[in-house]
Amino acid sequence: MSRFSSNQVKNRYVGRIFCIDQIRVKMKYTAGIDIGTAYSKGVIISNGNMLSACMLPSGRNFNAAAKKVMDKALDLAKLSPSDICSIGATGHGAKNVPFADEVISDLICAAKAVFLLFPSVVTIVDIGALSSRAMRLSENGSLAKFIFSGKCAGGSGKILQVIARVLDVKLSEVGTLSLKSKNRVEFNTGCAVFMESEAVSRVAEGASREDLLAGLHHALASQICSLAERVEMEKDYLLIGGGAQDQGLVKAVNDFTGKNFMIPDNPQLIAAFGAALIAEKNNDFSKKGMEK
Amino acid sequence: MTNYYAGLDIGSTMTKAVIMDDSEIIASFIGSTGAQHRKLANRVMEQTLEKAGISFGDITCVIATGYGRINVPFADKQKTEILCHARGVASLFPTARSIIDIGGQDSKAIKLKNGRVIDFVMNDKCAAGTGRFLEVIADSLGLGVEEMSQMAFNSKTFVKISNICTVFAEQEVSDKLSDGVPVDELVAGIHESMATSVHRIAKRLVLDKDIVITGGGAKNKGLVKMLSQKFDHPVLVPQNPLITGAMGAALYGKDLVAKQDGFFKNRKERKLKNVTFFE
Repeated sequence: MSRFSSNQVKNRYVGRIFCIDQIRVKMKYTAGIDIGTAYSKGVIISNGNMLSACMLPSGRNFNAAAKKVMDKALDLAKLSPSDICSIGATGHGAKNVPFADEVISDLICAAKAVFLLFPSVVTIVDIGALSSRAMRLSENGSLAKFIFSGKCAGGSGKILQVIARVLDVKLSEVGTLSLKSKNRVEFNTGCAVFMESEAVSRVAEGASREDLLAGLHHALASQICSLAERVEMEKDYLLIGGGAQDQGLVKAVNDFTGKNFMIPDNPQLIAAFGAALIAEKNNDFSKKGMEK
Repeated sequence: MTNYYAGLDIGSTMTKAVIMDDSEIIASFIGSTGAQHRKLANRVMEQTLEKAGISFGDITCVIATGYGRINVPFADKQKTEILCHARGVASLFPTARSIIDIGGQDSKAIKLKNGRVIDFVMNDKCAAGTGRFLEVIADSLGLGVEEMSQMAFNSKTFVKISNICTVFAEQEVSDKLSDGVPVDELVAGIHESMATSVHRIAKRLVLDKDIVITGGGAKNKGLVKMLSQKFDHPVLVPQNPLITGAMGAALYGKDLVAKQDGFFKNRKERKLKNVTFFE
């Protein structure tokens, strides 16, 4: 015979669970969702530490993408939706996150995250699928100046997709191939549409994929640099967004500017992380946590 | 003996040729430029001569224009397409003060005063606002450009396309299509966007009336309708808007011959067949 009846055991067990749950509730979890035109990113943080992060293609339906990326991030952190006390949304599709507590500009999110992770950084260049932008941070980490490329595929990461498709190269291989180039092709245009047809005729003339990609990186870098110059670059420099994953482009940007751009480990997650940080800071746990 | 003047306009997408006598056009030819345009000039010239029923030796003066004008080795002179369009349009519409030329890969606005060019702006950097924009969208919709122009002309409403960039507009169109937006409204929206792009370029010059539209874009009824709305004034379209440049080139030839009569005496030595280059 055990010393406790089965009912008593059950009660103690339940009590334990209850205790754990209380501890869990006291831990403050915040999510940041960044819905970009190409990829949706989700992170979950607690006291400024990243617990889980995930990235999925956005597809056409931003609402569905937001839900999917949230579920995945929760799954990875082994949390349930009720554990999250606030959610910050950012990116092109931020308005399509129905469960967000607040919508924050992606520039502010990036600035926030970069200032926390890399306090020495002043100049940030973000190369996204829809547009590129350059930012300059002030000493206290606020956004001092920023500039957008406008929605031109020739000045954003989109051109990499367009040309990669024409050359039948995977996007992940673009960087390594470009670095192998010995004789860069010079493009006469900055427009994605014209560049696409120029690439096709250069291929017909016998130019190699490596040389074409290096030329593409050079052309894109020149557009990005003219953007960055307008915010008066100062060290340190950081490159974020999907474009920062492309080593060929990073090299081209470094060559073009003569600066040394740093690359964070997960350049695409920066804005989502920043959104979570801001949402965490803005959220008074004692009020909002209980409500949920 | 009659004088004949030839004008060749090698555009980025289409090649146009015109043969004129002292008063009117006697033959014209329009063909697509393609990748081999360097070898094309002879063939175009031959075909136009055949239509006119004369031989190359009968031509008094040959003027080449358009972006491929340096690839016409038998031309007596090269002239920019800006000047040629102005000359051609001024002869057709003496009241014209502005020309908007919508080409396959560029678009330009030209301001005229007494038939002379006083200013122009040009866009050849961005596909938006050029014929290429419509081609790309037509391709992705699986429609012909002419079919689309008819749709845009007939449609009473349009859906606003918010992207200027051709690549992003293409994406937006396919997104909207799967959202269930009717195709004709989308196509009308595309033409509206194109007209906006052209208008944005053109309004850098303060354009006076009358405004004449030339180039391939002028054949697009839907676009012409939208452009008239943008300019708040009906725009004029030549009967054959593609050949105004070539016609202007031929007219320049005529002017040159009139000015310096002796200069073109050696035309018998100019041989079409002897031209072999880039091979």
